[in-house]
Amino acid sequence: MIETLLERGGDLVARADVCVIGSGAGGAVAAAELAASGRDVVVLEQGEHWTSRDFTQREDEMLPRLFEEAGMRQTLDGGITILQGRCVGGSTVHNLCYAFRTPPPILRMWREQHALPELTEAALAESFARVEANLRVKPIREDEVNTLNRLLRSGSEKLGYSGFVTQHNRENCVRAGYCLLGCSYDAKQSMLVTYVPRASEAGARVFAGARAERIEAPPAGPRRVLGHVVDPTGRVHGSITVEARTIVLAAGAIASPDLLLRSGLGGPEVGRHLHLHPSVMVAGYWPEPIHAYRGIPQSYYIDEFIDLERDPHSGYVLMPISGFPVLAAVNTPGFGREHFRQMRDFSKLGGLLVLLHDRSEGSVRSGDSLGKPEIRYALDPEDRALLAEGMRHCAEVLFAAGAERVVAPFLLEPLVLSRGADLGEIARREVREGTLPIASTHPQSTCRMGGDPASSVVNAFGELHGVRGVFVADMSVFPTSLGAPPQITTAALADRTAHHIIARGSELAG
Amino acid sequence: MPNQPSSLRSLLLPTSTRRGFLKLAGATAAFSALAQLRVLPAAAACSGEQASGDRFFDAAETEILTQLMQRMVETGLPDAPQVRDTRAVATVDAVCRGLDPAVSGLLPLALLLVEWSPPLFDLRFARFTTLGADGQDASLRSWMTSRLPFRRTAFLGLRNLCFLGWYSQPETWSLIGYQGPLVPRAAAGRAPA
Repeated sequence: MIETLLERGGDLVARADVCVIGSGAGGAVAAAELAASGRDVVVLEQGEHWTSRDFTQREDEMLPRLFEEAGMRQTLDGGITILQGRCVGGSTVHNLCYAFRTPPPILRMWREQHALPELTEAALAESFARVEANLRVKPIREDEVNTLNRLLRSGSEKLGYSGFVTQHNRENCVRAGYCLLGCSYDAKQSMLVTYVPRASEAGARVFAGARAERIEAPPAGPRRVLGHVVDPTGRVHGSITVEARTIVLAAGAIASPDLLLRSGLGGPEVGRHLHLHPSVMVAGYWPEPIHAYRGIPQSYYIDEFIDLERDPHSGYVLMPISGFPVLAAVNTPGFGREHFRQMRDFSKLGGLLVLLHDRSEGSVRSGDSLGKPEIRYALDPEDRALLAEGMRHCAEVLFAAGAERVVAPFLLEPLVLSRGADLGEIARREVREGTLPIASTHPQSTCRMGGDPASSVVNAFGELHGVRGVFVADMSVFPTSLGAPPQITTAALADRTAHHIIARGSELAG
Repeated sequence: MPNQPSSLRSLLLPTSTRRGFLKLAGATAAFSALAQLRVLPAAAACSGEQASGDRFFDAAETEILTQLMQRMVETGLPDAPQVRDTRAVATVDAVCRGLDPAVSGLLPLALLLVEWSPPLFDLRFARFTTLGADGQDASLRSWMTSRLPFRRTAFLGLRNLCFLGWYSQPETWSLIGYQGPLVPRAAAGRAPA
């Protein structure tokens, strides 16, 4: 059962074995696994329930429907835009389907530096396999690589850079290219069409428009989740009280720490260590139209500039990126005629994104308004230098791939480079928040996992240190920046958390 | 933000230079005007004269947004549609209506600041909507390049909102060679806001 509370009206008072907060890559997996084991599960999702029939492929309609703050969520100083899902299925509804397991050197670092000896590849193998099967993860076929990815692959190979065609979670993809705005064809195997229906079929009650605002977790007895029925503008239409023995918090790395802080749970580390995987798009313009927005948006992955074996803390990857008119316009510097001089070549545009495995750390704190936490983040000098270096390599690959001009999107004075230009000019500019459109789609690590309660929020199974029966199962539990697309890691850790809860039997359920 | 303190100081602290005095006097006058303007919508609401409740921006704000958007998306092409000829502003209004007030609440104030920014920040004694195209562009450039971080942030927010309204209009797509969505309009399950 998936029900929009606003349509039903009134308050929600429910009792369950488990209350899951959030329905994205973590929450949906936890809910489905727990419901399949016979647990009585209630899922509270703040966003709305949209289906493929609602996905119109139009930015003005889909950005407000699918994204937190209509895609305009920002860090407190406005320097970084954070794109996070806000709907049943969470960010998996708009993500671009890269499907990577946790890089082994990252797991090793988590084991050795964060006192998590349990997190071995062998221990996670079952969860990875289960998640990949349910999401139908498979290699992208050569004939599915679109024009932009093919061009960038050739450019990268000409330069001798390491890269590969990745795996994805799509089934019977029609290659329309609108993954970012929700798949109109149900080909993307997001949580919306996989784990959420599976949870529902197993008896979970999934409520949309249900904002959790506080968790009560007394030392003994059932826990309670309190909140409100809200519409998309945040207006309150009723109250929510869910009583459950176990709570799984999976609202994402911004909302989860906010909720714990409002509840006085989790200790002093809650909300700290925010990593963002900050990214900047460098635009290339080809002589002829390439219509880069058609086809699978991301299939090639350049990993030349990240060596996690050597340095698990930093590096960056380059990923092709296309977009639709609004997203392209936002990423094009300037305004008026100067801006339009680039936009008129939209059909010839293809982008390459530098995505940083960031050392820099920020924080999340509860703001004055519910749903509007304060997100602070500043790139440290080393990360700024890496971002600049990555942008230079983006320009290099774009030219090698046949682009005739490249635009580095410095906001005050756009840097338009033609073939043969000195690419070092990029590094001589000021690369930092506020000088470039920097975006994040991977906020993480704000309720980090670790063996030491003094430096972490949850243990190796996602349970709050010192608070039995309250778990976190989203990207906020990553002990450090992941350095890779996070969907599969998030889902696998949530699967592991769910099976841990199941294994603890009546202590945590019933 | 290393330049914020000095910028704020230069705007707010007494100064002995003539230019500084004029700047301060201009800012004071503009802030006073702004304060009065803020009273007007409240007064209108009390007298039942406020615009109908199904729009986010009132008439004055809509006019500022329309002119602002026209400068943001100016193409220079003689046959390009004008913002007024499209639903671009109505689209932005609809998006803002659907936002949490905690997010959208500052937008009317930002538009008001744009309207009064020529006297407030540029020592030009004219409102934004009374300026010609070149004057409006100069005013917007002063926002874009301002030393005050809040002005640059507000500029980017408004710029992005204008692009959202404009480039989601089908009549703009042929200008940039975008082929448009593949899903037929009628197939959309729910009507847009």
